[in-house]
Amino acid sequence: MPNEAWGIGASLLRREDERHLHGRGEFVPDIKLPGTREVAFVRSPHAHARIRGINVPSDAARRVFTAADLPRIKPIRVETQAPGTKAPLWPPLATDKVRYVGDAIAACLAPTRAEAEDLAALVSVDYEVLDAVVAAPRDMRGSRHPVHDGWGDNLFSERVFESGDIDAAAGAADITIQREYRMNRQSGAPLEGRAVLAYRDWRLDEIVVYASTQTPHTLRVALGEFLGLDLRRLRVVAPDVGGGFGPKARLYPEEIVLAALALELDHPIRWVEDRTEHLLTAAHTRDHHYKITAYADREGRILGLDAEIIVDAGAYGLWPQGPYQEAAMAARNLPGPYAITNYRCRASTVATNKAPLGPYRGVGRPGACFAIERTIDEVARALGRDPVDVRELNMVRPEQMPFTTVGGMRFDNGDYPQSVRLCAQLLDLPELRTRQRQGESDGRLIGTGFASFAEQTAHGAAEFVARGAAIVPGFESCTARILPDGSLVLMVGIQSHGQGLETALAQIAHHELGIDPVRIAVRHGDTESTAFGFGTFASRSMVMSGGAVARASRLLRDKLCQIGAHLLQCEVTAVRCADGVVQGPQGSVTIAEIAKIAHLRMDGLPPGVDPLLDATATYEPGIGTGVFSYATHGAVVAVDAETGSVELLDYAVAEDCGTMVNPMIVEGQIRGGVVQGIGTALYEEIPYDDHGQPLAGTLADYLLPGAAELPAIKIGHLHTPAIATEYGMKGMGEGGAVAPPAAIANAVRDALAAIGAEVNETPITPRRVVAAIKKARERSPQVRP
Amino acid sequence: MTAIRLTINGTQIADDVPARLSLADYLREPRNLTGTHLGCEHGVCGACTILVDGEPVRSCLTLAVACDGCQVRTIEGFGSDPVMTALREAFHRRHGLQCGFCTPAMLITAHDLIRRGRAASETEIRLGLAGNICRCTGYTNIVAAIAEAAVAAAKGPPDAE
Ligand code: FES
Ligand code: FES
Repeated sequence: MPNEAWGIGASLLRREDERHLHGRGEFVPDIKLPGTREVAFVRSPHAHARIRGINVPSDAARRVFTAADLPRIKPIRVETQAPGTKAPLWPPLATDKVRYVGDAIAACLAPTRAEAEDLAALVSVDYEVLDAVVAAPRDMRGSRHPVHDGWGDNLFSERVFESGDIDAAAGAADITIQREYRMNRQSGAPLEGRAVLAYRDWRLDEIVVYASTQTPHTLRVALGEFLGLDLRRLRVVAPDVGGGFGPKARLYPEEIVLAALALELDHPIRWVEDRTEHLLTAAHTRDHHYKITAYADREGRILGLDAEIIVDAGAYGLWPQGPYQEAAMAARNLPGPYAITNYRCRASTVATNKAPLGPYRGVGRPGACFAIERTIDEVARALGRDPVDVRELNMVRPEQMPFTTVGGMRFDNGDYPQSVRLCAQLLDLPELRTRQRQGESDGRLIGTGFASFAEQTAHGAAEFVARGAAIVPGFESCTARILPDGSLVLMVGIQSHGQGLETALAQIAHHELGIDPVRIAVRHGDTESTAFGFGTFASRSMVMSGGAVARASRLLRDKLCQIGAHLLQCEVTAVRCADGVVQGPQGSVTIAEIAKIAHLRMDGLPPGVDPLLDATATYEPGIGTGVFSYATHGAVVAVDAETGSVELLDYAVAEDCGTMVNPMIVEGQIRGGVVQGIGTALYEEIPYDDHGQPLAGTLADYLLPGAAELPAIKIGHLHTPAIATEYGMKGMGEGGAVAPPAAIANAVRDALAAIGAEVNETPITPRRVVAAIKKARERSPQVRP
Repeated sequence: MTAIRLTINGTQIADDVPARLSLADYLREPRNLTGTHLGCEHGVCGACTILVDGEPVRSCLTLAVACDGCQVRTIEGFGSDPVMTALREAFHRRHGLQCGFCTPAMLITAHDLIRRGRAASETEIRLGLAGNICRCTGYTNIVAAIAEAAVAAAKGPPDAE
């Protein structure tokens, strides 16, 4: 039997902690190579301009590189099989035009970053400034200077999703609710920005690229493609990565440029992004506009949903999936965890002169959740019903599972309404309602809001093929290798950057082989030592990589049993592998003894059995459309109606992610996600002015949530193991960030119910709250709280 | 270049530095003390927090030349300090770190809070952490770990009981 303190379900303390607690983590900027030159980029100060010329100081040859100096680089090309989409080419260093503030134009090299920036300041660019496209809804059908020449409009893609009969739903409805919602543009803002270090290894005839990335293997594929290099000549290493959250799961121009420079130069080069570069040029996220019409009967049952979604995707699509998935994901998730039967949604992805949009924890879901969950609350309010009851009334019930929504999501299992009830319990809803009626002594207004969602996780090939993706991240891989002393190395294609996979994957191997986790090493993030894998994103690594570890471990277990039975002189059917030994009817032999024979004493092997204990396996879950975690979040806020400030008094999550391999890590992921969602709800925004200038370039204007303004986050679990995955695991990395904007907006709405004000735009800043209150009071001047 | 003399983690050092070099860059590059991290380089995130003459400072906003004659202590310089040992233990047990990027500076700030007797309640700890951003954990476990270490530190080392 696996040891209960170490195996599946144990909150085993993390293997990765020790190095970080002593400041011995190794992030890209920590890696020193002799002779390294630092890189600073010349970047466009304009949102949209033609480049008439670039003037490089005459003595700066081989220290300043423009596109013309690096002809090997091909423009980034995103392929997609999705119909009706446009895919512009993206030169990693701008050639004829710049399309957003921060677009890279030249790379400048010097011994220190400060000197590289001095050099960059000497490069001058002659621009012909063009009108910037900044208002996606206004400019999507055309503008004076479209973002991409030759397009008649500014549309990357437009799709209509339709299911059932929306007109019939409209005809049958007792009430109609119409709202517009906006989730503004923000940054993923991992605490460590991006970073790349590249050099040429002459002995191995390869380019080595260290990058702060979530996806080393696919980054290698991209570098091969856009530099025209055999992959055997490229090695990508992601060492410690200081947070990713999605933005680091994409290819960036800087990575291509650094690798290209490594081919040109006889010294290493390094680029370490500063925070301003990050806020201007690393993938932005969200930026959704919604127009929703909901039709409901007098009970609050939603009969139909008619929606328009516009996603402001910025100037280019990031490789590999392009700009399209955000709007499509929002459209497919908009019906939420509800059994809605009639649906129509037009989803448009618009090119603007802003930084490219990429994935960030939850991707299209937080916006969709915001729109549907706010709407559910408005339906309830219009009917004078409790939003909790209306949620439950509309939710897919356990006995309806598996259930395919009008958005095309196939829910596998779970008790969704129970998550609403559990969350209400965690917050002690009746007590809150009493407190609300009594009023606060400081005059602030208390409100409670809920939001529910089901989250597609660990989706395999079926899902990505349906999206028209050019790259189908449907599997993960593991090479499990027992060394001659019986210790085990798991080499996996994912990349762990905070998720604790060095610990949790070892727990799975322990479950299968009984080897003490301290004798198990997990190697990840290096294309040299691991079989191909896609990396860590989309709440997939535990299910996918964990499944691959399970399968590879079982292959080893079979071989251990075969050799063990031979040594114990019994039938292989009579032995079992547990607690680090192969146990037979009459005795046992340790894995270490078997490992020695498999490597150093092959004369002890049974006839026909090859030496080595080395197995590579891949894994794709039994269902390619994903397994669904689900949760209800609840927020309690106090709103100051004079200043508009919103204080979060309490926050609870009731969730179900199937079998938890390491509950401590699961809860850590939930809490981290929730706080990122709170950032979206209350603080984080990158506004652009009418000229396409971004207005948040430092952490002083881009506010990240801090410890002082947050409550402790409560968590309650439900347990419905998945049927289609190993051990019943479901993915859960992103869910925490999905519901907070909706739950908090509903809580603010609840607090301001007597005034009749609602805030339907994130972040819910004091200014927006005050504006909403003012608007409501102007509408009905007689109402005073 | 300007000549400076300073003590880093107990070792006396004499060096020449450019006037514009930040203390963080000085520690990370020529001195190779890479446990001090840079998250913003403009004084907001707190990832670069170290001790100068016993007080926490933003090493990204401090110039190396300004530290002539100073005692500098980084995450690499706590040895077997009992408060730091209790903090490390508590961060590990309470899962107070994920990616680890904020961790060295969190520990140094927490060390300072405990030393000044400012870690007596959750509210106090949260206020004390206002200048240190963690993007991964959501803070709940960091706060719990500091509270636990504060109790352990007040009791003294286990063998003293
Ligand atoms: S790096 Fe110094 S405060 Fe952020
Ligand atoms: S653990 Fe990643 S920033 Fe704190």
